[in-house]
Amino acid sequence: MTEPSEQSALIKQAQSGDRAAFESLVRGHYDVMYRMAFKWCGDKADAEDITQNACIKLARSIDTFRFQSEFLTWLYRLVINTAKDWAKARPRQAVEQTIEIERAEAPVGEDKVYARQIMAYVQTMSDREKSALFLVFGEGLSHRQAATVMACRESTVSWYIHEARKKLRSFQELERRHG
Amino acid sequence: MDKRQLRDILGSDEIPPAGDNARKKAVNLALAAFDDAQRDKEKRRQGFRVWGRLTGRTNSTTGRRPMTRQYVFGGMATATAVVLGIGIYGTLNTNVMMAPEFGWIAESLDSTAEPVGGTATEEREVAAKLKTAAPPRQDRRLALRSALTAPAVSSGVPAERLRQSLKKENFSRGTGLSDTVERSFRSQPGVAASSPVIQPAPEPPRMQFDAAGRDQFANVEQNTVKHVAEDPVSTFSIDVDTASYAFVRRMLSRGVLPQKNAVRIEELINYFDYDYPTAATRERPFEPTVTVTPSPWKTGNKLIHIGIRGYDLEPAQRPRSNLVFLLDVSGSMGAPDKLPLVISSMKLLLETLTPDDTVAIVVYAGAAGTVLEPTKVAEKHKILAALDRLHAGGSTAGAAGIRQAYALAEGTFDKKAVNRVILATDGDFNVGISNRGELKGFVERKRDSGVFLSVLGFGQGNLNDHLMQTLAQNGNGIAAHIDTLNEARKVLVEEASSTLFPIAKDVKIQVEFNPETVAEYRLIGYETRALRREDFNNDKVDAGDIGAGHTVTAIYEITPVGGERIIGDSRYRKAETPKKAAGLADEYGFLKIRYKLPDADASRLISTPIKASGEGAAARQMREVRWATAVAAFGQLLKGGKYTGGLSYDDVIAMARAAKGDDEFGYRAEFINLVRLARSASALPRN
Repeated sequence: MTEPSEQSALIKQAQSGDRAAFESLVRGHYDVMYRMAFKWCGDKADAEDITQNACIKLARSIDTFRFQSEFLTWLYRLVINTAKDWAKARPRQAVEQTIEIERAEAPVGEDKVYARQIMAYVQTMSDREKSALFLVFGEGLSHRQAATVMACRESTVSWYIHEARKKLRSFQELERRHG
Repeated sequence: MDKRQLRDILGSDEIPPAGDNARKKAVNLALAAFDDAQRDKEKRRQGFRVWGRLTGRTNSTTGRRPMTRQYVFGGMATATAVVLGIGIYGTLNTNVMMAPEFGWIAESLDSTAEPVGGTATEEREVAAKLKTAAPPRQDRRLALRSALTAPAVSSGVPAERLRQSLKKENFSRGTGLSDTVERSFRSQPGVAASSPVIQPAPEPPRMQFDAAGRDQFANVEQNTVKHVAEDPVSTFSIDVDTASYAFVRRMLSRGVLPQKNAVRIEELINYFDYDYPTAATRERPFEPTVTVTPSPWKTGNKLIHIGIRGYDLEPAQRPRSNLVFLLDVSGSMGAPDKLPLVISSMKLLLETLTPDDTVAIVVYAGAAGTVLEPTKVAEKHKILAALDRLHAGGSTAGAAGIRQAYALAEGTFDKKAVNRVILATDGDFNVGISNRGELKGFVERKRDSGVFLSVLGFGQGNLNDHLMQTLAQNGNGIAAHIDTLNEARKVLVEEASSTLFPIAKDVKIQVEFNPETVAEYRLIGYETRALRREDFNNDKVDAGDIGAGHTVTAIYEITPVGGERIIGDSRYRKAETPKKAAGLADEYGFLKIRYKLPDADASRLISTPIKASGEGAAARQMREVRWATAVAAFGQLLKGGKYTGGLSYDDVIAMARAAKGDDEFGYRAEFINLVRLARSASALPRN
């Protein structure tokens, strides 16, 4: 990734139609976007698809970035929106199938299994709760920054986090009881 | 669970790195989108945003106004329109099932709870949402109503005005309601621009084995095993089409196994480029590469692999192109993966043409006629403007589309140029000649006069694959199925020269097997391209064409004498002991290829013996052979795996992985992914 000042220069160039600037912008942020997408959907192929869509979307909407928020924040929002759209357009069953296969292929240790269970459970939460959790705990954003990404108030983010953690707790209880 | 733990889990870096292919593809697509956006910006076009339609769900992420205002207005407008719609529906149909309707309303109301951004995109999104929310067997009215509510949500058409315009029309009789609403709706300024929304919604995909979709495929028996003693000669025409691969990919990516008739193994194999040695001169435009390998699915059997690579033209050698696009703009082409994709594809193709080439556009259905007179590519802005003016709509008025297209091509006919009509359709072949036989004959006659035809299929659900194939075969062109922009890029840009410039025509292959060494043989694929033995030497019989740089691969499976045979001996016919031809015991057979140079009428012959010894070849060639074998195996599995024994999808994946090679454009990686999808799709319940 590039220095902030360098980065905003790149963005400005891209906005004025500089193809090379845009290319290095996309290349430089591909991994960030992919990581975000992966956390969202938990599957490599799906994350690649989402990232691809997000890249295309970035091309079309780079002009609308107004430097009012941080670029990364803006980008998170773009990726999350893309992921949501993507999930809507996608038949449910096929998704579950592929996830299972990918999981089966990679052998892992005990503690990872637990982490995966949590991850899988988070996948079933509502989009907004999921976003809040990932932004705050996954990406280390403050509640305020997460609020910018999610286009809602800071207190709303806190509420989502609270709800999500409550659910996680009861999920853990359940797990413990059933061993 | 404490915060730190959560942070550890959610923030963990246990993420498989993204594939290089995916990255490459994403960056390239983004750059293409960027270019297009720039062009858009320059022209400040209105109403028709090609890129905006490709995904159908773009969502401008900034510049959103505070949600409260729009939420209130949008919600009210939706609610009013929905109530109105239900009211109309209810009065006309007293036996309406109300329960699912309410579910639908809930959905539509829910959709307004999101902050609303740019109007046009949001409209589509809502419409799409409504479409999916509607029960599967919805009627036209339901679709109309969703269309009716959708624009009201975001474009803020006052509900009152809507009501007034509806009131103006008298629809006391139930018939004609849809028309009335549609008309009154169209008359609304600001709504007309979004006419694609008023399409009847397509049925949601069915998640099961699709044994009989609505796409039409010719029913073809798989090639059977032949006994060399009875039938030693196999003859077929080459095939460079790839339509089947795109269709298979499309079905599989939806989690559904394709119909067996949709799988043409040779088209799957020929979808990929193979690194065969090229020919040196244009006069002898290809050299066959023959390789014998053991069969991976039956021990003892051998595969004979015949590869051909067409001579590749230098850009400077390319002849001028005289192209006429014949575009279907009937109402069914309104979907994002149809006309908008056609237009984007055409733009991609434009990029590959030289300023001296000419392009003309003819549309059929609805607005019939010539949209663009033959124009030099140097005046690219004119062509782009014409493309941008196109929109789908209107009924299918059988215009003299195809005649007009050919007339234009003949008007600017240049003997030295490539004169070609490119037909883009979603399956509606109402091009002015309704009789199929007549249409075929027409295309054939025009081919002889020097104007060729290629067919590009778009969309899905209405596709007439058989007719597409027939027309392209008779018109000396290719039939390709374009489902994504990436595919359009492959067919129209990367392979532009092979798609457009034939280097040899009527290419036929004949293999005579040696009964002394081969007991049985089977040609894998090429069912629709079989020729009679006597057709081989008859120059009047049409066959496939090969373009600049095209590769064609054919695979035979043989059982050598002494191997485990499928066909038993005849009780009554004496097994003739084959006459021993001196010195030929080392040959499995004899390969003959006939072709004509593009402007010649007499054919030429290339022949080579297929040696039994000397199995294997250089590593590079073996890799290509193994790849083709993996694809062939996949195709056979999709067709039911009649001859492949215990071979599984996993075996195919292993084979393909080993032979992937450089895979510069990621097509082979995509194939491996398709096999995985097929594996999971085959585990789904079939009905």
